[in-house]
Amino acid sequence: MSSETVARDEAGGGVKELAGKYLTFALADEEYGIGILKVREIIGLMEITAVPQTPTYVKGVINLRGRVIPVLELRIKFDMATQEYTDRTCIIVVEVDSGEGTIQVGMLVDSVSEVLNITAEEIEPPPSFGTANTEMSAILGMAKVKGDVKILLDANSVVGEGLLEKLSDI
Amino acid sequence: MAGEQMSVSQLLDDLAIKILVVEPGDLSAVGDLLEVAEQLLDNADVKGTAVLEKIVTAFKKVLEASIMGELSDSPENYDRLGQSVSMMQEVSRGAAGDGQAVCKLFKEIGYEIDPAEFGLEVSDAQDGGDGSWDDVDPDEIDTRFLADPELLTAFIEEAVEHLDSVESSILELEKSPGDSEVINSIFRSFHTVKGIASCTDLDRISNLAHATENLLEEVRNNRMVMDQAATDVVLAVCDRLERMVENVQEVFEKGLDCYKSYQVDDLVARVETVMAGQVTAPPTDEPPPVPEVAQAEAPAPAPVQAKVDLGSGDLPDFMQDADLVAGFIAEAFEHLEAIEVNVLDLEQAPDDMEIINNIFRPFHTVKGVSGFLNLTTINKLAHSTENLLDDVRNNKLTMSADIIDVVLGVGDYLRSMVQNLSDMLEHGPGAHKEFDISDWVRKVELLQAGGSLDGDAPSPSPEEPPPLAPAESPPVTEAVPVAPVVEPSVDPPPQPAPAKAAVPSPPTAKRAAPPKQKIGASIKVDVEKLDGLVNAVGELVIMQAMVQQNPLITAMSDPKLNKDFGQLSRITTELQKTAMSMRMVPIRQTFQKMTRLVRDLSKKSGKLVDLVMEGEETEIDRNMVDSIYDPLVHMMRNSVDHGVQKAAEREAVGKPGKGTVKLAAYHKGGNIIIEIHDDGQGLNTEKIRSKAIERGLMTATDNISDHEVNNLIFLPGFSTADQITDVSGRGVGMDVVKKGVDKLRGKCELISTPGEGTQFLMRLPLTLAIIDGIIVRVGQERYIIPTIAIQESMRPRAEHYNTVQGQGETLMVRDSLIPIIRLYHVFDVENSCTDITSGIVVVIENEGRHRALLVDELLGKQEVVIKSLGGYLKDIKGLAGGTILGDGRVGLILDLAGLIGASEAMGHPQLGHARGGVAGDAGMEGKEEVEA
Repeated sequence: MSSETVARDEAGGGVKELAGKYLTFALADEEYGIGILKVREIIGLMEITAVPQTPTYVKGVINLRGRVIPVLELRIKFDMATQEYTDRTCIIVVEVDSGEGTIQVGMLVDSVSEVLNITAEEIEPPPSFGTANTEMSAILGMAKVKGDVKILLDANSVVGEGLLEKLSDI
Repeated sequence: MAGEQMSVSQLLDDLAIKILVVEPGDLSAVGDLLEVAEQLLDNADVKGTAVLEKIVTAFKKVLEASIMGELSDSPENYDRLGQSVSMMQEVSRGAAGDGQAVCKLFKEIGYEIDPAEFGLEVSDAQDGGDGSWDDVDPDEIDTRFLADPELLTAFIEEAVEHLDSVESSILELEKSPGDSEVINSIFRSFHTVKGIASCTDLDRISNLAHATENLLEEVRNNRMVMDQAATDVVLAVCDRLERMVENVQEVFEKGLDCYKSYQVDDLVARVETVMAGQVTAPPTDEPPPVPEVAQAEAPAPAPVQAKVDLGSGDLPDFMQDADLVAGFIAEAFEHLEAIEVNVLDLEQAPDDMEIINNIFRPFHTVKGVSGFLNLTTINKLAHSTENLLDDVRNNKLTMSADIIDVVLGVGDYLRSMVQNLSDMLEHGPGAHKEFDISDWVRKVELLQAGGSLDGDAPSPSPEEPPPLAPAESPPVTEAVPVAPVVEPSVDPPPQPAPAKAAVPSPPTAKRAAPPKQKIGASIKVDVEKLDGLVNAVGELVIMQAMVQQNPLITAMSDPKLNKDFGQLSRITTELQKTAMSMRMVPIRQTFQKMTRLVRDLSKKSGKLVDLVMEGEETEIDRNMVDSIYDPLVHMMRNSVDHGVQKAAEREAVGKPGKGTVKLAAYHKGGNIIIEIHDDGQGLNTEKIRSKAIERGLMTATDNISDHEVNNLIFLPGFSTADQITDVSGRGVGMDVVKKGVDKLRGKCELISTPGEGTQFLMRLPLTLAIIDGIIVRVGQERYIIPTIAIQESMRPRAEHYNTVQGQGETLMVRDSLIPIIRLYHVFDVENSCTDITSGIVVVIENEGRHRALLVDELLGKQEVVIKSLGGYLKDIKGLAGGTILGDGRVGLILDLAGLIGASEAMGHPQLGHARGGVAGDAGMEGKEEVEA
């Protein structure tokens, strides 16, 4: 499953293709990276209108300059303990595929770190934990940069099409 | 002998068609052609006509040569061969045959014929295009171009536009010579001018444009450079063309007295000189720059051929020029619609020449443009129908029901062909479908020959275009023309209200003098741009409200500021209104489709029905046009099928034998009302009532008015055909109607009087983009309830509150028990008011169901711009979308059908906890209290 995801997202598969620029952000103690080409913008926390009948990780919708876009809280999505929002909490707006064209989705994260250029040598395939955790399918690979490990995410699986499939089950 | 002659012309026709569809490199097609040519040569009549034999022989030789690869197998050559077939046709009809033209034509192809063979004195076959004009008396005014004012208007409008753009492009080119983009645009302009001019029978303009186009073609293919001489000559051509077009316009507006005879030979020659001076190595298959000589010389060219030949030279594949094709598609749909409307009028007044002309002209236009675009099948079908109509026009034939049926059928068929074209444009050539027109052509020709149709010509209903293309389902006409461009203010040509067609004396005078269209009064705008504008204006209105509500601003009490704000909001409101109105189109087109439907339905059911239409000029959002079509069709069908009785039945109850169905549209209270009113038998209320009781929707003792009972038929699943159709009619597709109208956030209503008829009302919002809503607060959340669904709101009193078996809650509102939906419960909102008596209930109605929504507070009424929640959030039950509220936050708009569904699915698990409400926040104990 995970290799399929990689193949779909990165056209050709293999860790080599994953090299490139990543926006890294923090969730609890973990560092994540997301392909910079998917990122539209980073905005500070703003008032979120809760949308009923959605999974808990869908925090609601915001007004992004006249457009209404959904915001997901990644901590909840990844089954991590939630915490109070701080002034570093922000929303990364990514553009992902949905069934009908691209959509913009906000990802609520603890803080945004930096943009890293990650080379192919630094990337390892995602580890296998042998669990049935579906969230693992969103992991493209692990990057070791200056002793830190960044978890590279596939935006489409986290908030795009992949999510769509799950939502339709609800 | 006559039979033989017939077969020659048949063979020639066959040849003409085959040559049109042949493609370079398709040797088997060339083989077919060869076969026909040989058959011709074997024909006794051909042998007897020396000239014809010569041409056919030459034709055959050319084909052989191209199979052997001795001659170039280019589209241009096939065009010329097509022209030669035209000549053959003329000769076979008895024309003398113009040997000079034939020689020249074949010389162009690359096959030399000895002029002497024709026994004709040929002096300057090699000369350029000059000769062609010498044959035409320069002073003789050729008025053919005045035949079709619509086409001419379009021509003038477009030509002026193109010539303007050419001029500026050339000047641009002078600054940056060699810019291929600019050259292409100039080329395209000339190409278009040439094409439409030839369609409009403006040969000289077409010729001149064609010569220039040839020159530009060379430039485009880098065979020559755009030097000073070339630039000058193109500019000169441009000036001349402008003057000619101006003159055409003058003639069109003021009459023939203004006609000036412009010669183009000098310029054509100049263009050629420039070309000859530069073209370094003209490839063998390159046409000498002779503009359509054959066509000009031929006194009466076979129309199909001539039209096709004219513009096709550069369009081996008609999809090449997508702009032109798109334009054609939009136009063709309009014309086909006009045809349909006029044919239906004609049925009422079969002798009205003006109507026949009105039908003839669009066919003529469609034929012309399709020919120019190389759409041979469309061209052929339109052409043969045009011929048929021409005979009617010239009193050679009398209009008959057969002809009307066939013309309607052809119209439908053409429409499916054009639809396919549009599909191809959108989805690529893969969408191509084969259309077999031979059946229709045969019918048309049969009628033209004075015969009548064996058996009844199928008069297909709009949903079933004649399935002549076997194994392939032709595009359904229901996929109504979605033209890629919108014409916000161009009304279809004025048509007499078909309502009046029922009146014995149709207002012919009105038809006879269609007002002249103002040239340049409208522009075509991309729909996307328009939507963008409307959205931006929506944002502007919101932003203005946000600024105005800013606490800092409201704290200021500056009279100047207030005044300015007042002015600002007036301007934005005006802007919004204008932007909205640009998307509005008259409902006429949709209504006109109903005319056809009623005609077909009444024919099929053997009833006499008059359709009376009112308020066709009422404007609706163009995005709604498609969506109201289905509900309308169902309602009209119900009215005709089930409402109106058969003539005998009607007469038995003292009504006129002919039933009347009225279709009306008007504005009322910020809504558009569409009304369908029949004078039929009305609903069988008792039957519906018993059905409702049977289904447990009500009890026999319920005191429900007939009106309410009648409206039960809108309930989903309530009525299906086998349940009540047999007895009372109504019941087919009411669900579809209701759903369709709901989707548009409209409302349906039925008023039926037994024995007198049924009135069906559709109440629709003016636009889909904006919704009128009440903003309510629940906890910290705000929701918008569409005003149209709200019946009342109140602060409930404890004595009106009941529970049902501890499962549901109801509120007594004016003697009816209405289930309560606690919005905070369904939407899981925290910190909201749970006490019924301290909250507010809003009574809403949806699909006949009433519910009382418990909310904390009403915040106000506002028009909001609907936005999709985006991506995967858009299908949430109970939510129709979101909107940006005055403070910039997102508010959610309720979808009541979904909300009711969701609340029913959820049940009331927390009822015990929640309902403590009545006596305060009493929690579980509340339950006992209430039940006690």
